[in-house]
Amino acid sequence: MSVQIRTLEEHLHASPQADSELTTQEYLVNMGPQHPIAHGSLRVVLRLDGENVKFVIPVPGYVHRGVEKMCEHLTYRQIIPYTDRLDYLSAIMNNWAVAKTVEKALGIETNARIETIRTIMSELQRLQSHALWWGVTGMDLGAYTAFLYGFREREIIGEIFEETIGARLTMNYIQPGGLMYDIQPDFAAKVKKLIPYLHGCIAQYETLLSGNTIFQERLRNIGVMDGAEALALGCTGPILRASGVPLDLRATEAYGVYDQVNFNVVVGAVGDSWDRYYVRLHEMRESLRIIEQLIDNVPEGDYATLRYNEELILPEGLHYGQTETARGAFGVFIDSDGKRPHPRRLHFRSPSFNNMWVVTRIAAGWRIADFIAIQSSLDLVIPDIDR
Amino acid sequence: MGMIQATQIVNEERPIAGKTVSVSVVQRLRPPTRFQVALLGMQGLLQGMWLTLTYFWSPVEVVTREYPENRDSLKITERFRGNLRFKFPNEVAHQTHSALLEQIAQETQTHPEVAENWIRDEDDTRWYHNCTGCSKCEEACPNASIRILTRHGEILDDREIDRFVWRLDSCMFCNACVLACPWDAIEMTGGFENAVFDRRLLVYSLNRLAAPRINLIQDEQDPAVRARMIDWRSRYGGPIPLGGTGLPNLPAIGAPKVQECPVSHAGSTAVAP
Ligand code: SF4
Ligand code: SF4
Repeated sequence: MSVQIRTLEEHLHASPQADSELTTQEYLVNMGPQHPIAHGSLRVVLRLDGENVKFVIPVPGYVHRGVEKMCEHLTYRQIIPYTDRLDYLSAIMNNWAVAKTVEKALGIETNARIETIRTIMSELQRLQSHALWWGVTGMDLGAYTAFLYGFREREIIGEIFEETIGARLTMNYIQPGGLMYDIQPDFAAKVKKLIPYLHGCIAQYETLLSGNTIFQERLRNIGVMDGAEALALGCTGPILRASGVPLDLRATEAYGVYDQVNFNVVVGAVGDSWDRYYVRLHEMRESLRIIEQLIDNVPEGDYATLRYNEELILPEGLHYGQTETARGAFGVFIDSDGKRPHPRRLHFRSPSFNNMWVVTRIAAGWRIADFIAIQSSLDLVIPDIDR
Repeated sequence: MGMIQATQIVNEERPIAGKTVSVSVVQRLRPPTRFQVALLGMQGLLQGMWLTLTYFWSPVEVVTREYPENRDSLKITERFRGNLRFKFPNEVAHQTHSALLEQIAQETQTHPEVAENWIRDEDDTRWYHNCTGCSKCEEACPNASIRILTRHGEILDDREIDRFVWRLDSCMFCNACVLACPWDAIEMTGGFENAVFDRRLLVYSLNRLAAPRINLIQDEQDPAVRARMIDWRSRYGGPIPLGGTGLPNLPAIGAPKVQECPVSHAGSTAVAP
């Protein structure tokens, strides 16, 4: 795939004459950074010929906080609450990525209980994230009811998190060498009660949105992307899988206890917005399947293997670790000097950043309303893009 | 789902990254004709509306919480990370902290936050604490929301806490300070109603006494010596919470303030204690 780079400046000076027979003019229109459809401060410059989108340029940077730079002055335990604030809907998986990298670099052993709880919590978080995404997609495409339904499930899972973790959004739960707290005694019972309820909810989702032909028509065959292109753009997560590439770190890297459970990687057949929608919906069922297999026998053991105040100094060199969040592969790249308890340099490979550039390839040629559907099906979290 | 299924799931095996994984492929069914689309559109619409309608006679569970009407019945979980506060081991026997604040706030006609400044009772034992001033929490805090000021205690000839300054405005409720404290001196409470009218009120000291740890005070038998170990510290005041000093047109926080009552006693002033 060849890459053609044009700056925003060059685009601005491109011919304003539209192709249509009518004497119309092309316009550059900013969608965002404050736009109800953007789910955050993402500015998207659209070149429009009437309703038709000629091309799309995402302009990130409105919520850039320099997290990676800040992390150079923080210990590894202190970095973890900052990862909550990247992809806040996958906070636990982000925590896990840092913890995993540190554990691998230092050779810290964890026990089966810790890994099982981490896996269950990650899957609950994935369910929560997909439920929210489902609702927001409905809202973007004009079905406000869906938004309320999605949030209902989100809050119910949030309550389980709140009891064990103490927070609903910014978890800071998975620590190097363990967890912050042990699970509450009634955690398993509550989660078990949740599983049939969520199966019912997914059936409701099918009725409310998937079964709606208007909704189907707005997604089907819109924004088709094939697997090769998705790989070339560095996409991960449901977006890549919807294009037919079964890359799921849970299956291919098998961290945690994912190698001890049966689950299927959900892939799409066409690679359009509908596949991206349905892959996520079916992934929720697979997440429930994983939880079902684990929740009955959480092994006994300690919930932490390190003292909290222990100083963690990574050996000199480069360390990388990644987890599969609700949006794709979240990687942590640490360069340690082997002397100080901080990284010398740190980089987060965030899934939303790569996934965002999909719009430049697949949104051209569609109407504005289709662009909304495409953007919605990408499930972007803006603080994850900007970091 | 019914008859308007657009998708079916087919399970198979596929190779990826040197492994074979079991996949569920989301297969597309034949797209409906225009006529079917119109028909199915109606059906989808009615199904959705029917689902909504059923809630009228079988509300499964009312999911909406009516805050603040339900404030009294609100259950906050025990681990919820709201406000940071000191553990006062002796406090249990006394009136609860917030009730006391409410009472003082009413008496002095001020905000409960400010009322903390006037909490001062004869019985100092209530405010004995576990903190040694070791600064572990300050080191653990990722964004410098804690400042530990220590002083040299004359009687025990040792370091002790002078002020534990907590910046609620920059805290991110990560719980690192609580986990890092080796003496179990602080805790996260369920309090979440943090709105104040003046942002200076968000920086304050958590300790009421500049004093050594509770067991060190209680080991001392002579009440006169005990009393000399302790110095009172108000919530706002000291070098870091500004206390309003130096800002024009703003009364200092904690200073007795002149209240003007605009309606009934026009012109008269009342001085809060
Ligand atoms: S909760 Fe976290 S941010 Fe807040 S004071 Fe404690 S360590 Fe600092
Ligand atoms: S609260 Fe705990 S960690 Fe912080 S200074 Fe006091 S004893 Fe040390």
